[in-house]
Amino acid sequence: MDYKLSDLEEWDEKIFAIAKGHGLDWYEIQYEFIDYFSMIGAMAFHGMPSHYNHWSFGKNFERTHQMYNLGMEGLPYELIINSNPSVAYMMRENALYLQILIMAHCVGHSDFFKNNRTFKGTRPDTIVGRSRAAKKRFQGYVEDPSIGIEKVESTIDACHAIQFQIQRPGWRRRTREEIIEEHKFKLKKDPELPDIDLSKNPLEEDYDILGFIAENARIPSWKRDIIEVCRDEGQYFWPQIQTKVMNEGWASYWHYTILHELDLPPELHVAFIKSHNQVIRPHIGGINPYHLGFHLFNRIKERIGMDECFLAREVHNDASFLRQYLTQEDCEDLNLFSYSRKKSGDVSVDDVSNEEGWEQVKKDIVRQVGGGSIPVLYVEEARKTGMLVLGHEHDGRDLELVEAKNSLRHIHYLWDNPAVLDTIIDGNAYRIET
Amino acid sequence: MICIMSIFKEHKTNADRVASDRRRHKEKIDKAIREGIHHIVADESIIGNNGKQKFRITVKGIKEHKFVYGDNGKQVGSAPGRDVKKGQKLGGKERGQPARPDKPGSDSGEEYYDVEMSLDELAEYLFSDLGLPDLQKKQLANIKTHKLKRNGYRTEGIIPRLDRKKSAIARIKRMKAAGFDPEKAEEGETFSFHEDDLKYRHYKLKDEPCTNAVVFFVMDVSGSMDQEKKFLARSFCFLMYQFIRTKYENVEVVFVTHDVEAREVNEQAFFTLSTSGGTYASTGLALVNKIVEERYHPNSWNLYAFHLSDGDNFDSDNGKYIEAHAKLEAMVQLFGYVELEPEKSWMEELKLSRILMPRIREKSRCVTVKRKEDVWPAFREILGAVKTEGA
Repeated sequence: MDYKLSDLEEWDEKIFAIAKGHGLDWYEIQYEFIDYFSMIGAMAFHGMPSHYNHWSFGKNFERTHQMYNLGMEGLPYELIINSNPSVAYMMRENALYLQILIMAHCVGHSDFFKNNRTFKGTRPDTIVGRSRAAKKRFQGYVEDPSIGIEKVESTIDACHAIQFQIQRPGWRRRTREEIIEEHKFKLKKDPELPDIDLSKNPLEEDYDILGFIAENARIPSWKRDIIEVCRDEGQYFWPQIQTKVMNEGWASYWHYTILHELDLPPELHVAFIKSHNQVIRPHIGGINPYHLGFHLFNRIKERIGMDECFLAREVHNDASFLRQYLTQEDCEDLNLFSYSRKKSGDVSVDDVSNEEGWEQVKKDIVRQVGGGSIPVLYVEEARKTGMLVLGHEHDGRDLELVEAKNSLRHIHYLWDNPAVLDTIIDGNAYRIET
Repeated sequence: MICIMSIFKEHKTNADRVASDRRRHKEKIDKAIREGIHHIVADESIIGNNGKQKFRITVKGIKEHKFVYGDNGKQVGSAPGRDVKKGQKLGGKERGQPARPDKPGSDSGEEYYDVEMSLDELAEYLFSDLGLPDLQKKQLANIKTHKLKRNGYRTEGIIPRLDRKKSAIARIKRMKAAGFDPEKAEEGETFSFHEDDLKYRHYKLKDEPCTNAVVFFVMDVSGSMDQEKKFLARSFCFLMYQFIRTKYENVEVVFVTHDVEAREVNEQAFFTLSTSGGTYASTGLALVNKIVEERYHPNSWNLYAFHLSDGDNFDSDNGKYIEAHAKLEAMVQLFGYVELEPEKSWMEELKLSRILMPRIREKSRCVTVKRKEDVWPAFREILGAVKTEGA
């Protein structure tokens, strides 16, 4: 280590003053020093200080480990979670300039977690405790001879398959009573309106598939508990999926701004610029959220002003952010283009960012970011026979059938009764069965 | 403004918190290897492995399923420059891009792990849960050799087995009990050995398992045996040899080839030799019988014989084949006939398997291998495992 703890405290004080001066408002940050393996371990659990066990986190570990060995993406060894206080991990082995960069970056993230409205429902004050309590209960289920690891594991496997098939931030799931009330209200205005079928469950499409199963399936309480925990975690992580570009862009904007104002000694400054450029480099053929977000916040500041940046970080998610601010000039600067696999099997360019193509490219990227690549499914009906009928909001993109079938088997397992999914494949109605 | 400086602290290392999840993940991969391993047993890289070097096999990762879009959707990406044109074809990998699911030209995000193993580890994977509970009791039962084993002492026996020390001690004990003291004894008075003092070593005949085994691989190398059939044969022999190797301390292998006549050859020749003549299958088994008589007496060797052929044999030889088979079967632990038949033959009813089938008794098995994928089920069936498809 080329620094002492007191060095970090000094830098932290300076970062603090600069960030406050710019009007950032973040949770208290608790930095924990950690070695490489514990870092990869923490990453496997998405940073949760305590988390239920499942083999998939072992797989995450191997994958992250492999990725970092092969050459990395994003900011090396930076991890901060959406909690209050913010828990951030710091690799002991990192050089001083990198620690300073990471600290400034974390301030940006913490500010974003605290102020972006997408995160309103995530309950950051209690997430650490909730997660620890769930781990203990799950451990109890594993040790319970009438349940055991196989069943617990299969249930978690199944929950993970549809962990994000729940209501997305900003969507409101109406209760039965609310739907009936609203219908009565509409009837007053329009007496011709057909009655709603009160025997149908749910009364209207329910996009919270995990929630619907937890509430309606005839399953033992331990299974329901696992479903609810996974659902809660899905809700906790959805905002991060929806704001990946903004969140990384905002944090990168701030580490860049703060470090420039820090008056770093020249040798640290050069190293910092090198790291920064590595982090925000474009990923050819894909989207690097650090790159896109950093670019946009800089442009917004230039075009409209810093207040607009603060407003954006508060009210937008990635899709609305790009819809609002991405211009033709940006598309051209970023060399964005859209492509797809054709029936022939060839992958070819559909549109490039020029006068005639950029608007289509923009539409395509808006649809892709912020969890747009997660299909929207819903519960259509739980039949009296026990069968669960699901629907898919088809938007021109077909589901991948093998994955869909396997995922549907997981739903079958959770629901403990057959499940089918109605979708569209190649323009024709198609029912996926287990 | 309230001051909220950050806190710095040491992370409380709760040992390796991912350890159990990594172990569980590894167990799943192990299981996948075990289930998928028969797909790789016919791989060139494994067969012919000298047993010392490790080899790498690629195992598909344990997939976590999710609802995802197929690849008919559009993707947006950054181009390296402005020279990308509408309609331009992209070949992700060819352009030196890393294989990633979100990039053109990559496959659908399947994950693979490289696993390194030695031949012994492979054998363990292959044979650990073969589903052959009675294997050791039946097919692979060791033949017994009889050996004399010490079994305590008796008061009766033949002089050469007399244990002098034990006998002397018995006499002294009796002497003390009787109060006889040689120091004080009068001249001429002695305390002589009694019949009961004499202790004889006792021996018993006991069964000893014989740990020697010899495997005979007999292959038809006549004109009709092409490269493909030889490859299947090679896979099968490899598996069988590896398996038997795990069961005995000392395993010898004898390779015999035959067309119209049989000869003993080395491994190299066994797999590569090819002649253009017809087939007298009986000659192969006859040579094995001869070699057994000369070198491997069934009382001290566990014998295994496998005949690999495409089943074409001269009509006139079938009778002799059955004769030779009957003689061989009487001596072996197991005889396996493997018919290698990549395509359907027009002389189905003349195949050796048809001739042999009705004569299959407990010690013989008859299987058909058409493709690489049949090797493993055939192997299992020959070892008397649960019946699988084919044959």
